[in-house]
Amino acid sequence: MNNKLLTSKYLRHLNKLRWFSLSFIFIMLIILPFIHLYQTYEAAHAYDLLTPTEKMISDTVERLTSSFVKEPEELSAIKGNTWSGSLFGLKLSDPLAVLGQVAASQSLYWPFIITALIPLIFTLLLGRIYCGWICPATLIYELNDNLAAWLRKAGLPVSRRKLDRRIKYVVLAVGILLSIFFGAVMFGSIYPPAIIGREIYYAIALGGFGAGAVFFLLTLLFDLMVTRRGFCRYVCPGGALYSLLGRYRLIRIKRNVETCNDCAKCNVACQFGLDPLNDNFGMECNNCTACIAVCPTDALKFTVNVHDITYQGPGHLGHKYRNEKN
Amino acid sequence: MLRRRFLEYMAGSGLAALMGSDVKAAINKPSIRYLRPPGSHDEKKFLSRCIRCGKCGENCPNRCIKFFSTENGVSSLDTPYIIPREQACILCMKCGEVCPTGAIPKIEYEANAIMKDVQMGKARVDTNLCLSFQGKTCGVCYRACPLQDVAIKTGMLEQPHVLDKCVGCGLCERSCIQIPQAIRVIPQYTG
Repeated sequence: MNNKLLTSKYLRHLNKLRWFSLSFIFIMLIILPFIHLYQTYEAAHAYDLLTPTEKMISDTVERLTSSFVKEPEELSAIKGNTWSGSLFGLKLSDPLAVLGQVAASQSLYWPFIITALIPLIFTLLLGRIYCGWICPATLIYELNDNLAAWLRKAGLPVSRRKLDRRIKYVVLAVGILLSIFFGAVMFGSIYPPAIIGREIYYAIALGGFGAGAVFFLLTLLFDLMVTRRGFCRYVCPGGALYSLLGRYRLIRIKRNVETCNDCAKCNVACQFGLDPLNDNFGMECNNCTACIAVCPTDALKFTVNVHDITYQGPGHLGHKYRNEKN
Repeated sequence: MLRRRFLEYMAGSGLAALMGSDVKAAINKPSIRYLRPPGSHDEKKFLSRCIRCGKCGENCPNRCIKFFSTENGVSSLDTPYIIPREQACILCMKCGEVCPTGAIPKIEYEANAIMKDVQMGKARVDTNLCLSFQGKTCGVCYRACPLQDVAIKTGMLEQPHVLDKCVGCGLCERSCIQIPQAIRVIPQYTG
């Protein structure tokens, strides 16, 4: 039963679900600062003193939320961002935040470390699931990659050079060392999801983007002009940590050699530059299911295994076609 | 100068520039007088604990918590601060409630607990600027104080005297009608 679910043809719709998840989280990050603004207006008890724009924000949020909560205070149930947030009393933090904080403070503060437990379990089971399904920066990076494809079509040179994947582990190690050296968590300022969460809040509630926005724009340019999804693949310290944790992930994508026709669409669709066609997923796969969505013969399925299988040879269907041709 | 010595010099000064964003330099910077959210640990411990998630600001009903860009050094990037003259802390203690890392410890919303654990700074009166010391009865800072008669008391002509229990919330500084303010919070940056 379970196995049937893992290999059903409905798997190709998972990519849409993923886009829904990414968009939902991004929209939440935009809504939450407005909710905070509304709460401050309510706390001040000065509706008549608000400017027209503030009144509009207050009215809109009130209209949208009044059916869910009685008091504006109750809206505090959801706070924060993907770097560290609370969800109806459940506190969740990014494992990278915990790692950086432990390195910087050189002490263990258990109430905080425990908040990374659930993300950690998910990462151990599913690898870079955070990168593919949750990270608010991924949404923009993927849209940016679509833009790169359009630019390419329009004849502009979009570079897709290959760098060394191990660079990001160096970034992770250097980040930890710098955190120890400065006694301050350095990851927060170069980690795109943390930057996005913060900068959206700054822009909406504090009136303007901060320094992180500039850095994020540079990473977009890097992706566009140097290499495809370059930041996630080669620089991101969080991606490095998740790759390491997801080394022996339990659930991974597997090519079914009987139904594969060697069309190589999966390799083109994979923004991380992995090689599903040759059964080579590796640590980096974020289970984004983009390859499953494009596979014309539904040859890519999920499987429960701690290792990738060795190369199974060319797809049988492709073999058959080739034989028929000859 | 030998080339080697010169290179060593350069490397040394480069390292020193990096260290320039160290905690000590940040505190001694004369232009910024800021407070950390109520109950925060001393500056060094605070910086090592804070993960820059911004939840303290997102929970502040008073909108007094703002976030550093690069103006206070790289170590302080995206950490919360309060400029009391702009918007002072009302000691609601909600930031400590949500801080995931204990950089702002959880403190009960109760006068004794606040007086015991919160030490953002100490108010100081400039008697040359203060209206009450110039013969015009004012007393605004005393009325703005959430810990009246414990943190601040008034003498003749409503002349304010800051007491030991002052936690440095800055409401007096915010309310002072003199420009520039005659009472200001001197940050302590200590737990």
